[in-house]
Amino acid sequence: MFLDLNLPLDITFLGVQMPTLLPIFVSLAVFMIWVDTILSELGAYKYVWHAGLFRTALFVCLFSFACLTIYH
Amino acid sequence: MQANSHLYYQPLKEGFLDWLSLDMPTLIYMAKAILAACSALIVSMILTLPDPRTAIFTSFIVMQPQSGLVFSKSYYRVLGTIAGVIVSVLMVGAFAQEPLWFIFFLALWIGITTAAGVKYRNFQSYGFVLAGYTLCIVALPVIEHPMDIFDIATSRFSEVMVGILCATIVSDLVFPRKLSNSLHVSERERFENVVKTLQEFNLNTQMQQNADVTKFSSGVVGVHAVAINSAFESGIDKRSRLSLEQLNIEFMHLSTTYHSLENIMQNSQTQMQAKHKKMLQELYLLMGDALRESANLDKAKHKAIKEAMGLHVKKMDEHFKTDLDLQSYDLLVSACYLIMRLFDEFFIYSTSYFSFLKRKDFKKESHELRPMVRFKTHTDNLLLLLAALRGSGVLLVSMLFWILSGWKYGTITVTMAVVISLLIGTLPRPLDAVMNFLKGAVSAAVVAAVYDFYIVPEFTSDIYTLCLVIVPVLAFVGWMTTKPKWTGFSLGFVFLFMSQSSFDLFYKIDPTTFLETTIASLLGVTLAGVAYLLVNFWSCSLSQKRVAKLLRAEIVYLCNAPLNLHRGSLESMGRDMVQQFSTQGRLNVRSNRLVYEWLLVTLEIGGALMRVRKKMKNSPAQFKDIELLLEAIKEYFQTPSEALKQKMLTLLVDARKSLHVSQEVALMRTILLSKIAIPVMREDMCS
Repeated sequence: MFLDLNLPLDITFLGVQMPTLLPIFVSLAVFMIWVDTILSELGAYKYVWHAGLFRTALFVCLFSFACLTIYH
Repeated sequence: MQANSHLYYQPLKEGFLDWLSLDMPTLIYMAKAILAACSALIVSMILTLPDPRTAIFTSFIVMQPQSGLVFSKSYYRVLGTIAGVIVSVLMVGAFAQEPLWFIFFLALWIGITTAAGVKYRNFQSYGFVLAGYTLCIVALPVIEHPMDIFDIATSRFSEVMVGILCATIVSDLVFPRKLSNSLHVSERERFENVVKTLQEFNLNTQMQQNADVTKFSSGVVGVHAVAINSAFESGIDKRSRLSLEQLNIEFMHLSTTYHSLENIMQNSQTQMQAKHKKMLQELYLLMGDALRESANLDKAKHKAIKEAMGLHVKKMDEHFKTDLDLQSYDLLVSACYLIMRLFDEFFIYSTSYFSFLKRKDFKKESHELRPMVRFKTHTDNLLLLLAALRGSGVLLVSMLFWILSGWKYGTITVTMAVVISLLIGTLPRPLDAVMNFLKGAVSAAVVAAVYDFYIVPEFTSDIYTLCLVIVPVLAFVGWMTTKPKWTGFSLGFVFLFMSQSSFDLFYKIDPTTFLETTIASLLGVTLAGVAYLLVNFWSCSLSQKRVAKLLRAEIVYLCNAPLNLHRGSLESMGRDMVQQFSTQGRLNVRSNRLVYEWLLVTLEIGGALMRVRKKMKNSPAQFKDIELLLEAIKEYFQTPSEALKQKMLTLLVDARKSLHVSQEVALMRTILLSKIAIPVMREDMCS
C-alpha cells in the first residue's frame, strides 16, 4: 500500500547484522537535524506553541512512515 | 473588611510568587530528572539490555536545567562514547595477549584524554573524559575473555544512547527551559549593572578592594560558554548568537578600561592634588547624560559629548602643563585618555545592546555585524603535562595493585580510580571535589545496601514497582545536582549507587559480592584522591610565577606581533588564562587580586605598544628613539633586571619629546613608574 521497497528486516553492515530500522533511524536523525536548522533559520518555530513537541512529533511521523515501508 | 482580607492576602500572594520563581524550577527539574531516569530504566529493561543502570546513570549525568545544555552535553557524550568504544575494540583486538603493550597504550590513551579534558572548555572537555574512561569500562571487564568485547561494546553504547535519548526528549518536551531566554535576562542584568556601576563611579573616593574581580572575568568566560551551548538549541538563530558574542567582547573591552582606570587611580591617590582630582571628576561627569539616557544615545549625541570632553581635556592640559612635574602630568594624561576610551566603549556597547534588543523583536532587521573576533582560550602546557602524568600515573598504580593482588574485582578499582581522576580534573577545586566525592560514595554505599538487601527484594515485583521504589533516591540526587556546592557529593553518590544497586534484569546480588565490589570502588576513589594530593606541587606561588611569565611573554610577543592582531582575542585569552589559574592553581584571594591587576597592566601596556607600532608604521623616520624604547621594553620583559629597568625608564622619560605618541608613552610611564603591580615577580601574596 505504501512504498513497496521490499526492504529486508535485517541487514548486514561491515559484517555486523542489525535491524534495518537502525540505519534508518540514524539517517533520519541526521535528516531531522538538517530540517531543524532550516526551520529555525526560517523562524518557523515562532508560530509553533511547543517547539520541542512539534519537533518530536515530526520525527515520530517521519520514522513511522519509514517503518511502514518495512513492516506492512 | 475588604482591606483586612487584602492585608492577609498580600503576603500570601508574595510568598507564592517567590515560591513560583525560586523553588518551582527546582521541583520541575527534579520531576524531569526522575521521569528521564525512569523511562531510561523501563526502555532498557524492555530492550533487555544487560546493564540498565548505565542508562539511568547516563540520563542523570546529561540532565541539566536548560534544554540547550542537555543537547550539548549529550552531543559530546555520544562523541566521547563512540571514540572510547572504537578504541577499546581496537585495543582488545590488538593487544589482548600482550599485557605490557596493552597497559602501555591504555596509559597513553588515558594521559592524552586527561590532558585534552583540561585543555578544552565546557562539555567538550567532558567528551574527552568520556572517551578516556569508556575504554576502562568496556575493555577491562573482558580482558580475561577478549572474545566478548564486541557484545560489551555494543551493549554499553546502546545503554548510553537510551539514556541520552530519554534525557533529551524529556528535557525538550516537559516544561522546556530555553537557554536563549536566560541569555536575554542575563544580558539585560549585565547592561543595567554596567550603567549603575559607571554612574556610581567616583574618582575621588578610595575604592574598597573588591575581592570578586575573578567573578568579573569569569562572567565573560561564562557568557561565552552559554552562547556556545545555545548553538544546540533551535529557536536562537545564528545572527543573534553572533551578536551575543560580539556584545560579550565589547563588554569585555569596557570592563578592562573601567578596571584599568580604577587600578591607576587607586594606586596614585596620594600623588594627586585635590584640584586635579576635581577636574578629572568634572571630565568624568560629562558622561553622565549619556549614562542616564543610554537608550537615546546616538552618533550625534556621542559626538557632541566627545567634543565637550575634548575641550575639557584641552583646558586641563593648558592649565597644568607648566606647573606639574612629569609624573603627575603623565597620570592626568593617562586618566583623561582612559576616561575618553571608557566613554567610546560604552557608546559601542550600548548601541550593540539596544540593536540586540531590537533584533529580538524584529527578526528581519538588516543590521550588518562587524567582522567577528573569536573568543580565544589559553591553557598552560605545564598544567596539561601534570594532568596527563596524573591520569596515567593513577592508571599504572591501580593496575599494579590489581596485578599484584590478583583480586577478581581489581578491575573495578582500576576503573573507578581512572574515572574519578579524569572527571575531577575538569572541576574547579579538584581536591575538595575528591573529598566530597568520597563522602558521597560512602553514603551511597549505605543506601545501596538498604536497597539491595531490603527494599528491592521486599517490595518490587516488576519494572514499574522498581521505578516507584527508586523515585526517592532519584529525587534526592536530582535535588542535589541543582546545588553547585554539592557537585562532588552528588557525583560520588550517583556513581556508587548506580554501580552497586541491583537494578538488573533479574535479582543476582549477594552480600559477599556487594561488599567486595564496594570496597574495590571505594579503594579506587581513594587512590584517585591520593593522586590529587601527591601530584599537586602546583602551589600558589608557582601559579603566580607561571602567570607572570606568561604575561611577560605576551608583552614581548606584542613587540613584534602582526599589526592586525585584534584586541578582543588578546583580552579573551588573558581572561581565560587567569580564570583557569584561579580555579585550578590554588590562588588565594589576595594573589587572585594581584594576578588580575597584572592582567590589566599587561593589557594596557600591550595595547599601548600596538598603537605606538601602528603609528610608527606610517612614518617610520620620526620614531628613531621610540624604536629604541620598544627594544628596551622587550628586553626588560624578557629578562627582568634592575639595569634593564633603569635603561627602559630613562628611554621612557626621553620619549616625552615625541609628540605623536605622547599619550601612549604617558600611559606606559604611569604604569611602569608608579606603585602599580607589574608582572615581574617581586611580591608574593601567597604566604
